[in-house]
Amino acid sequence: MGNFLLPLMIGARNLAFPKLNLISWYLNMAGGLLTLAAVLAGGIDTGWTFYVPYSTVFSNTFVTLAVLGVFVSGFSTIATGVNFIATVHYLRVPGMTWFRLPLFVWSMYTTSLIFVLATPVLALTLVLVIAERSFNLSIFDPARGGDPILFQHLFWFYSHPAVYIMILPAMGVISEVITCYARRRIFGYSFMVYALVAIAVIGFFTWGHHMFTSGMSPFAALVFSFLSFIVAVPSAIKVFNWTATLYRGQIGFESSMLYALGFLGLFTMGGLTGLFLASVPIDVHVQDTYFVVAHFHYIMVDASVSAYFAGLHFWWPKVTGRMYPESWARFAALLMFFGFNLTFFPQFIAGYLGMPRRYYTYPPEFQVWNVLSSSGAAVLAVAYLMPLGYLTWSLFYGTRALNDPWNASGLEWRTTSPPPRENFFGNPEVLGSPYDYHPKSAAPAEDDRIAEQGALT
Amino acid sequence: MRARLRTNAGAIWLRGLVLWLLLLGLLTASLLAAYHLKAPWAPAVNFGLAATQAALVALLFMRLDRANDLVRLAAVCGLFWLAILFALTLTDTLSRLANT
Amino acid sequence: MLFFGALFLLYTVLRLKHATDFATAARDTNIVYGTLNTALLLTSGLTAAIAAQASEREGLRRLTLICLTATFLLGLAFLSVKGLEYHEDIEKHLVPGPHFALKAPATQLFVGFYWLSTSVHAIHLSIGIGLIVRLVWCEWRAPGFLLASPQLEVGTLYWGFVDMVWIFLYPMLYLDGRGA
Repeated sequence: MGNFLLPLMIGARNLAFPKLNLISWYLNMAGGLLTLAAVLAGGIDTGWTFYVPYSTVFSNTFVTLAVLGVFVSGFSTIATGVNFIATVHYLRVPGMTWFRLPLFVWSMYTTSLIFVLATPVLALTLVLVIAERSFNLSIFDPARGGDPILFQHLFWFYSHPAVYIMILPAMGVISEVITCYARRRIFGYSFMVYALVAIAVIGFFTWGHHMFTSGMSPFAALVFSFLSFIVAVPSAIKVFNWTATLYRGQIGFESSMLYALGFLGLFTMGGLTGLFLASVPIDVHVQDTYFVVAHFHYIMVDASVSAYFAGLHFWWPKVTGRMYPESWARFAALLMFFGFNLTFFPQFIAGYLGMPRRYYTYPPEFQVWNVLSSSGAAVLAVAYLMPLGYLTWSLFYGTRALNDPWNASGLEWRTTSPPPRENFFGNPEVLGSPYDYHPKSAAPAEDDRIAEQGALT
Repeated sequence: MRARLRTNAGAIWLRGLVLWLLLLGLLTASLLAAYHLKAPWAPAVNFGLAATQAALVALLFMRLDRANDLVRLAAVCGLFWLAILFALTLTDTLSRLANT
Repeated sequence: MLFFGALFLLYTVLRLKHATDFATAARDTNIVYGTLNTALLLTSGLTAAIAAQASEREGLRRLTLICLTATFLLGLAFLSVKGLEYHEDIEKHLVPGPHFALKAPATQLFVGFYWLSTSVHAIHLSIGIGLIVRLVWCEWRAPGFLLASPQLEVGTLYWGFVDMVWIFLYPMLYLDGRGA
């Protein structure tokens, strides 16, 4: 979505380095193929985190191949990050100042900063794993003086910001969707921007909270716990601002909005459980249980995936030029909300009661929770497949979309659906601040959705 | 990046050679310090000399002194993040060493 | 910067843990080769910087080409010295593995780090040499290409960065443990 929307939203023709973009795509494919090859060859048994010394000294699976695949696709990430940063700095249309950028652009920009700063450390860590396996070095082997916890430090220095990579664009999408369907300006634009930057920056300081039970020193655990509490603050600011945006709005319940509202509630839940995990004593109890699994699924699935679907539906007319059937979409959104909660809420309980993760079986006392969770997963599967069905259908049979079916603000709606090759006919003009749905400090405006295209409640 | 005729080749060589001699001087200093400085803070001296050399290369060979603010900000950010990586990891390593 | 920085962090942590063994192992590096290489690389940094500055001005095409050529020749010289040094290290059994020469276990850590960091640096240096050679070749085919060329600016900046990495690697690998 960033590749498509970023230039559109700032009025540019293309990204700053189109050839780099293409190289990035090929690298991603190459890395993916390498990793796929490792999986097909027999897979790895170290888990995605490649903890040492198992992955470097003892594992007999295709660790080197898989690690190489990840290493290659890391370069793809860095290339895209560089591309996005350069685009936002240099290709904004005149009049599009930094504080007039849509929040989605800000979120992609901060995400790109994380790409560029965190991925090299992962690259080095992976090189160290490959070197240690291939050349029998002893960097992480405690029997020969190495330090396995150092691996975890290096690994999580990337992997924690990686989860912020996943959530920041989602937050950007939600800002766009909520403002459009509530017909309100975003509440506190500057603080939303500062919060995005703060999450990106402070997120880099919190990686040790994945290692509380690793044998790390208690002093370091204290430091990381404190920093992890702090990183919750900007996220909370964003949630408050979104809620305030809804106030006095003309809230419509289109499918994208349903996803966005689901995001608000469930992201809050996921975020609050993250605070539980930031507290060292609680984390020691629930580390590596399903509590943690439920926490990050609430954030990943509910937040990132919901926001992804919200964005998919919101910009589907822009990208494809077709409208999708609204009632199917709403039904899928509601089904997803229900299925998601049924799947993951029991996992909180199971985890708290002690069910561990990464075991292939479980003791009988957890059966109820597991059954509930699995049935929820079936519902969720249906809810995910439905968009596949109706969106594909809409490609062939959907109503043709107007340039601006939602009557939204933002430069991407000022061009055709789908946009021409150069993105705009002529040069777009930036007339005012983003989310210009009503004059400042005004009462809610008359509802101006377009009846045939966007649905009215 | 404009073609200027303001300074000729001689001036470029002069600046470069002065800097080069300075760098070689620092290299010699670090070599001497390694062999003759027997204090426990000797490694710090060597790394300090290395950092000075690196700063000179960055500023004057790589023209960071003349670059626009955005480039300098990018360089500073890199250093800042590296500092974070070092500082927070060392809270763990040093406190574990102190505890053993 | 963060890629090599993380490598330096590895060194820092391991050295803090095994200070004496690192000092012992570091004494076995060849200070002559190391210092020579550092001098070579600093000189190549000089020629790269001069090439970059010369390329911004008209009429200094020959200077730019000479300096670029000098840069990559010095880089090749560095790699040759490194090759000699590697050869000597292999002869002295300073390679981690069953025939390792030194006794204390943590010395293997240092030597492993030595091989790893110098090879990664050498790979990056070779990439740099490739970039510089390509720049020279482009200029031969299309005179005027290098004037105020962003490719040259980026190429020489990259060279400066690889130089900076070695400036730090040198005290890490060669200057430890010499005092005693």
